[in-house]
Amino acid sequence: MTTREDGAPVLGAVLVESSHALPLVAVTVALRCGAATDPPDREGRARFTARLMRRTAGGRTAQSLDTYIDTLGAALGVDASYSSIAFQGVVVSRSFPRFVELLGDVLGAPDLTGQEFERLRRECIGELVEVLDNDRVLAQRWFRRRLFAEDAFGRSVAGTQRSINELEVSDVEAFHLGQVTAENVVLAFAGAVDDDQARSSAEHIFGRIPRGERIVETTADPRPPASRRLVIVDKPERTQTQILIGGLGTRTDDPDHTALQVGNTIFGGTFGARLAREIRVERGWSYGAYSNLTIDRRRHAFNLWTFPKAEDAARCIRHQLGMLERWCNAGITSDELEQAKRYLTRSHVFAVDTAAKRVSLALDEAIYDLPRGYYASYTERVNAVSLDEVNSAIRRRIDPKNVLVVVLGTASVIADSIRAAIDDLATSEIVPFDADP
Amino acid sequence: MCSTCSREPWLLEMARTAPEYGRAEHVGSIAFGSLLTIERFRFANGLALLLCEDHSAPVVAYQTWFRVGSRHERPGKTGLAHLFEHLMFNESEGCPQGEYDRRLEEAGAENNASTWLDWTQYTVAAPADQLAVVVELEANRMGHLVLRDPQVGCEKEVVANERRFRVEDDVEGTVSETLWTTAFDRHPYRWPTIGWMEDIEGFTTDDCLEFYRTHYAPNNATIVVVGDVNEADVVRRLADAYGRFPPGPLALEDCWPEPPQTEERQREIRQPSATEKLAVGYHGPALGDADHAAVSVLAEVLFGGRASRCHQTLVRDREIAIETRAFVGQFRDPGLIEIFAATRSGHTAEELLAAIDLEIERVRAEPVPEAEIERARARLELALVSGLETADGKATTIGFFDAVLGQPALAFERLAALRSIDANALLRAARRYLSRTQRTVILVRIRESATGGGPMDADPDGPLQIADGEGIGS
Repeated sequence: MTTREDGAPVLGAVLVESSHALPLVAVTVALRCGAATDPPDREGRARFTARLMRRTAGGRTAQSLDTYIDTLGAALGVDASYSSIAFQGVVVSRSFPRFVELLGDVLGAPDLTGQEFERLRRECIGELVEVLDNDRVLAQRWFRRRLFAEDAFGRSVAGTQRSINELEVSDVEAFHLGQVTAENVVLAFAGAVDDDQARSSAEHIFGRIPRGERIVETTADPRPPASRRLVIVDKPERTQTQILIGGLGTRTDDPDHTALQVGNTIFGGTFGARLAREIRVERGWSYGAYSNLTIDRRRHAFNLWTFPKAEDAARCIRHQLGMLERWCNAGITSDELEQAKRYLTRSHVFAVDTAAKRVSLALDEAIYDLPRGYYASYTERVNAVSLDEVNSAIRRRIDPKNVLVVVLGTASVIADSIRAAIDDLATSEIVPFDADP
Repeated sequence: MCSTCSREPWLLEMARTAPEYGRAEHVGSIAFGSLLTIERFRFANGLALLLCEDHSAPVVAYQTWFRVGSRHERPGKTGLAHLFEHLMFNESEGCPQGEYDRRLEEAGAENNASTWLDWTQYTVAAPADQLAVVVELEANRMGHLVLRDPQVGCEKEVVANERRFRVEDDVEGTVSETLWTTAFDRHPYRWPTIGWMEDIEGFTTDDCLEFYRTHYAPNNATIVVVGDVNEADVVRRLADAYGRFPPGPLALEDCWPEPPQTEERQREIRQPSATEKLAVGYHGPALGDADHAAVSVLAEVLFGGRASRCHQTLVRDREIAIETRAFVGQFRDPGLIEIFAATRSGHTAEELLAAIDLEIERVRAEPVPEAEIERARARLELALVSGLETADGKATTIGFFDAVLGQPALAFERLAALRSIDANALLRAARRYLSRTQRTVILVRIRESATGGGPMDADPDGPLQIADGEGIGS
């Protein structure tokens, strides 16, 4: 990997992990920018542009490209998030050189003005309608929208029907011209490829894209919730609910970051954690019960996720809020800490047991501006945290009195009991599941 | 020295010291690709071991496959195999509730399980130096599970919630369940693996105990071990841990073949869905049938990826569908070739069916060009090889083909079979299997209450199910 003296990746950043166990090469072309760059009235622009690039590489038709990729023995997908766009591919090794040629076309020679633009617009809108059948995604959408309010993290990566309808060719051209530059690209190769092959392939791909300015994250962190708020996403005929409860987590350079990760592992990070034990194993309320800390360049979310039947929703929420308070006020025990440390350090081997996984960690470090050696020092950092550090981190970063509760379910059945189950509830709203937030 | 001879000393030594049923026999060696070998052992109690040393990473995949699935249930007791899979994570002798997960997590291991029509699989992936803990815990729950009313009652609630998640509140789950129950009259594939809600609610602890005694004997199981381990060490550990369990009397499988379907079945259901949907199921070949590879290639030609015929026609050219896909059942007995499609707003399930029928009639009338066959073969090959990257992936592939067909390395023979498929094979398969008289059609209508009466303007975050490239992100 090419780095500056301070360790940051620069133009030509290339990550390579060789393994000849299988005749496959995984290739990722990642951009250090994503939906966070979408203008407020053009949500979905970054993802739309990336999909259009994937479909029109080298001026070919989408059909001929799809046939070509399949016949190579390859797959190429687009993964969009707030801070990154990744073209993720895998190819049988005999077709690797032709796949690299294709990736050069994806980045350097897409046709953003042709008829595929309108076709993709119609397809995106169809997908946005279809996703109304997915309760979990709908709940997540409202959780992020309300948690992050006006912050870019609150925007929709996929866009809305309205924003996709308003996209113009000039919007996607602006994204391609301004963001798809060598300084913002990181290339990762893993599998049946050696350093020389990877570097010559990288030279080819970098040769297809212009120079530009490296994106530097300057936006302030989002603000945490200032009260207990409830959003009920009203959908008819639900026998079950989707419940998300949470606030913010930490930045990765926050001194509390590792300690809070350990604390979260104990609270809801595994099947044996407190949340799964009390909600699923002891009470049978929900098939799944987990808590999660999201990592990004800025402070992102901490949330609990459960999905009990409608009749259990209110007491499940009340119990989770009580668990959060106990976690923050009483903290964790030294036995729990030792157990979590052993789990996190020993299971780390599964984050690095294949070449593709190893390169993926290095890619995350480069894309998300993680502290230098973030993953290399992971087990050491976990082992170093003390009981006091974990309990202090939980108290400083998690505030159970100020959380957002989002529940997807049938409001006429659940709303009254859920409002009554949340002490000190400041605001409550009911939104239709098919409304635009 | 041959491999069998080299094992004799430690196998003989082990036979002297092992518990009553711990004596092991090396049954054979099977090549697993060009670099790895599966060693097959059988213990005196009938427990089978498939062992594949793979030193590419310091991990071990340890899987237990029981040859019992929902096909072994009976009406009124559907879902018992799946409920029982949940109960295996509760309590065993000397291992109180919660201890199984606590100790595996302490070892840095990940574990899971799944139940399907023909089998039940328990998986543990652990750091290689934690093998001893894994063997102890897995053996203990095979031989010494504890079943009590409170745990059974609580787990029934969990499974009922899983059913709400996967079926009651999920349009596709409901459609799939309706398709299978309509397509099958007599074979046990007609009921859902998760079970009917009233059956789940009605299970007793005695039902579970009877199921345990009937199906969880060592002679109904295969252990698959793949990873950075030593063969003799693994066999010794298993002999010690499982060698005290006697074999059990295996139940006779009371399963009738499905009578041939002679006319099309069609059902219309109303769902709280955003769009109309379509599911079609043709009776297809069993996984062990010589036609299975051809049908798989045919499904790829028609539905595999964005370059497939149906995607091109329905999604891109006519823009009447948002997605189309198909699955060819991989079961011991003949299952279904399942087709699923979702309309775009303003279009109907009948339009999708008519358009799909045109494509199906085409493959029944005309040979598929070699370029299309090559594309389909390449996709299937990539999917199969990609699944072999991790120790866990290899163990699952080995265990799956062993559980269904008794051939743990069949994945590679299947690759060879896929490469031999030509236009003649596809034409034969299309004409034999894609006949309207042996299909079931489910038309999904929109139940109006679901739309909320207003314009739909959604804003989904997170990964969508549909992407430019299949299987890799969105």
